[in-house]
Amino acid sequence: MTNGMALEGLKVLDVAGTIAAGYCGKLFADQGAEVVLAEPPEGFPTRHLPPFAPGVAAPEASGIHLYLSTNKRSAVYRRPTELLALAREASIVIDAAVGDERPLSTSQLAAVSPNALLVSITWFGQDGPYAQFQGTDAVCQALTSQIDWLGEPNEEPMIPGGYQAQFIAGVTAFVGAMGQVLAREIGSVSGTDHLDVSILESNLCFTEIEVMRAYKGMPTRTRIGVNRFRATYPLGIYPCSDGWLGVTVLTPSQWDGLCRLLGLENLAAVKKYREGVARLRDADEIDRQIAENVRGKSAKELSERGQALGVPLAIVPTMEQLVDVDQYVERGAFGEVRHPDIGSVQLPVTPFRLFGCPAVAGGSVARLGEDTEALLAPAEVAP
Amino acid sequence: MRMSLSKFLNDLRIVDLSMGWAGPLATRHLADMGAEVIKIESCTRFDWFRGWEASQTWIDEDQAEKHPPFLAMNRNKKDVTLDLSTERGRDLLLRLVAVSDAVVENFPSTVLPKLNLGYEVFRGVKPEIVMLSMPGFGSTGPWKDYRAYGSTTEQAAGLPHLSGRPEWPPAMVHIALGDAVAGLNGAAALLVALRHLKRTGEGQFVDLSHAECLFPLGAHGIVEQALTGSSPPRLGNKSRYCAPHGAYRCKDGWIVIQAENEDHWYGVKSSVGWHKLESFDDLQDRFARSDELDAVVTSWTSTRRADDAMLELQSNGAPAAMVRHSKHLLRDRHLHARGAWEIRVHKFLGRIPHVVSPFRINGNPLALGWPAPTLGKDNKKILGGLLGIGKRQLDALERDGIIGRRPRLRKASQE
Repeated sequence: MTNGMALEGLKVLDVAGTIAAGYCGKLFADQGAEVVLAEPPEGFPTRHLPPFAPGVAAPEASGIHLYLSTNKRSAVYRRPTELLALAREASIVIDAAVGDERPLSTSQLAAVSPNALLVSITWFGQDGPYAQFQGTDAVCQALTSQIDWLGEPNEEPMIPGGYQAQFIAGVTAFVGAMGQVLAREIGSVSGTDHLDVSILESNLCFTEIEVMRAYKGMPTRTRIGVNRFRATYPLGIYPCSDGWLGVTVLTPSQWDGLCRLLGLENLAAVKKYREGVARLRDADEIDRQIAENVRGKSAKELSERGQALGVPLAIVPTMEQLVDVDQYVERGAFGEVRHPDIGSVQLPVTPFRLFGCPAVAGGSVARLGEDTEALLAPAEVAP
Repeated sequence: MRMSLSKFLNDLRIVDLSMGWAGPLATRHLADMGAEVIKIESCTRFDWFRGWEASQTWIDEDQAEKHPPFLAMNRNKKDVTLDLSTERGRDLLLRLVAVSDAVVENFPSTVLPKLNLGYEVFRGVKPEIVMLSMPGFGSTGPWKDYRAYGSTTEQAAGLPHLSGRPEWPPAMVHIALGDAVAGLNGAAALLVALRHLKRTGEGQFVDLSHAECLFPLGAHGIVEQALTGSSPPRLGNKSRYCAPHGAYRCKDGWIVIQAENEDHWYGVKSSVGWHKLESFDDLQDRFARSDELDAVVTSWTSTRRADDAMLELQSNGAPAAMVRHSKHLLRDRHLHARGAWEIRVHKFLGRIPHVVSPFRINGNPLALGWPAPTLGKDNKKILGGLLGIGKRQLDALERDGIIGRRPRLRKASQE
C-alpha cells in the first residue's frame, strides 16, 4: 500500500464474505490496511449478489462485491491449515459465524497471532432467542421499528430498498474494531478478544430516541403517509422541470424563507403555521400549493436560492445524475474502481477525509484467488 | 493487565463543540469506550437537542434537562459552559484544546470563523490536534455552506429514488437518516485519525460529508447505474430477485417476509402449507404470479398474530419479522435477553431507557456509564481541576455570565 496511510501496518482477514464484513473491511483497505479475503473455492457470497455486470461471468460479475472489494487481496483456501496460514499475524479476523462453529476459533487465532481481535458480524449477535433466526435487511428494519413509520397509514409499511441495515453494521463493526485497535496500540488492552456485533442492534441507532419517547409516554411516530413525519412539515420531495426538489422546514424562519422563495405569502400570513405540527395537520392543502408552485421551475435554481435564504433545500439527484452533481465532483466523492473483467467504473469513496493521510479513492479489485499463490507458500497449499 | 471493559480509551481527551444528533453521536461512541469527552455549550447557546423553543417558562421548568434526544446522545460526557463570544471564554476553550487530542464540531460553516476559531487557531495552541469537522455536505465544494438536516442529506444523496412505489414521489425512509449515519462515520473518522496521531505524533484536519456517508445505503442503485446505465426500478415492496418479498397483514399488525433463496422458500412453504404453494415452486413463476402468491401468503398471515407468525416462519428457516412499533422494542424478547436496553435514573426526567453500545467484548456489553450531564455540570471539575482556575476566578466567570449552570434567553442583539 501507499506509504503514510492511516491504517498501514494492520492486517485484516475477512472470512465472512458478507456485505457488512465487506464494508467494514473496505474501510480498512482503503485507508492502507492489508485486507485479505479468505474465500472458499466458489468465492464469497458477495460475489453472487446482484446487480451484475452485463457480459461478465460468475464469480466476477457482482457489482456489490466490486464496490466492497477495492484494495483487497483474494486467496482461496481449501483446508483449515491454509486458513490458519492466512491468519498468521492478522490484527483482525472478521467472520459471520454464530456459536462454536466458526472458521477460526479465538484459541486457534491466538496461536497464530497473539494480539488479534476476532470480529463477528451477524444478524442477531452471538446469543439470545433470535441468534439462530434467519436475517435480512428488512427483518432488521422491521424489528427495530424503522419501517413501521413508512408508507400510507392504512396500507402495508414500506420496505426500504437495498442493503442498508448491513452497511450500517459494517460501519458499526469498524468503529468497534478500531476502538480495540487503538486500545491495543496505546497499551490499555492486550490478548485475543472477541467482538460481537449484531446487525439488528447496530440499526437501533435510527430508533433509540423514539424508544425513549415511547417509554416516557410522549407522542411517537406512526405511519402517516409517504414523506410525512411527525412533528414537522413540509419535509418532502416535489417534481420540478429539471428533476426533484427536496424540502425540509423546521423553524419559523425557514418557513418564512420557503414562503418568500415560492411567493406563498398567503401561507406565511397564517399565524398558526409558524408551528410544524399545525402545518402537518393541513399538509394536504399546503402540499398542493407547494407542488403547483414549483412545477415547471428548476430544482437546482430553487435549491440555490432557498439556501441563500437559509432554507435547507436540496436537489434529489437520480442515480444517473448523482456522479455529476457539482458538489460531489468537486469533493472527489467518487473514485475509479478497476477490475480485470468488468473494466473501470466510478463508485463512492470513503466518506470522511483525513487531509493529512487521505484514503485511496477507488482502486483495484482482485479476481477470485488472484493472490493465493502470493499469500500461501507452496508447502502450505493442499495438493 | 486488563483494563475495565469500557475504559480502554481513557488516555484520550476530546473537546466536543458539536450539537444536535450527528456530532454528539460520534463522540458518544468514544465516550462509551472510555475517552474523556468534554462537551462545550454556553448558557445562551446550548445544544439545540436540549430543545429549540426556549422561553422563560421552558427554562423555569428545567426543560433543557428533560429532552430525550439530548439525553440519548450525551451520556458519559462532561459538560462545560463557555461563552465563546467573549475573550475569556474563548481563551479557556483554547486552554482546553491545548491539553486535548481532538476537537469535534458540526456548526454551520460561518460560526467558528465569526468566533475567530478554527483548525488553524487550534493548531496554534496544540500543533498535533486532530480536528473533525462535520457539516452536512463537508467543508469544501460549492455546497459547503449549505444548511442541512438529516433529511436534506438523504434527499441530496439520491436515496429516495430507490424506495417506494413507482407512482409515489421519491420516498424518504427516515426523518433524519443522515444524522445517525454521519454520527457513526464521525466516530470511525475520529478513531482512524487518533490511531494515526498515536502512531506518528501527527494531528490533522478531518472532514466528513453527511450526504456522502449515505452513499453506501444506496450502493445497489449506484452500482447498477454504473454497470448497466440504468437505475433499479421502484417496485414498492416487490423484488426482482426474490419472492415472497413484502409486508403481510396479520391479525394485529404486519409481518415482513424476504425469501432470498430456496431454503427460505421451503421455510415459507413449510409454514403456509406445501399444498397451497406447490404451484409456485419455480422462482420465475413466483415473480409472474406475485399478486396471487402474496394473496396465498396473506391468507395464512392474516389469521395469526404477527409475533406468532414470525416465530413459526423462523422455526422453519424463513426470514420473517414482526413490524414492531417503537413502544414494543423494550419488550422484545431478544433485545431484552441481550441486555440491549438499560434503564437509568436521570435527575430531572426520572427513569429512562438507553440503548447500550452495540458491541459485546468476550460476551460482555460495554458498561452504560453515567447519564447525560446537566448544563455546565463539570465547570468546576474541568476548569478548576484540569486547567487549575482558582475559586475566585470561577466565581467571577460565573458572575460575568461566561460560565453557568442555567440556560438564559439570548438578548435580541445576540440573535
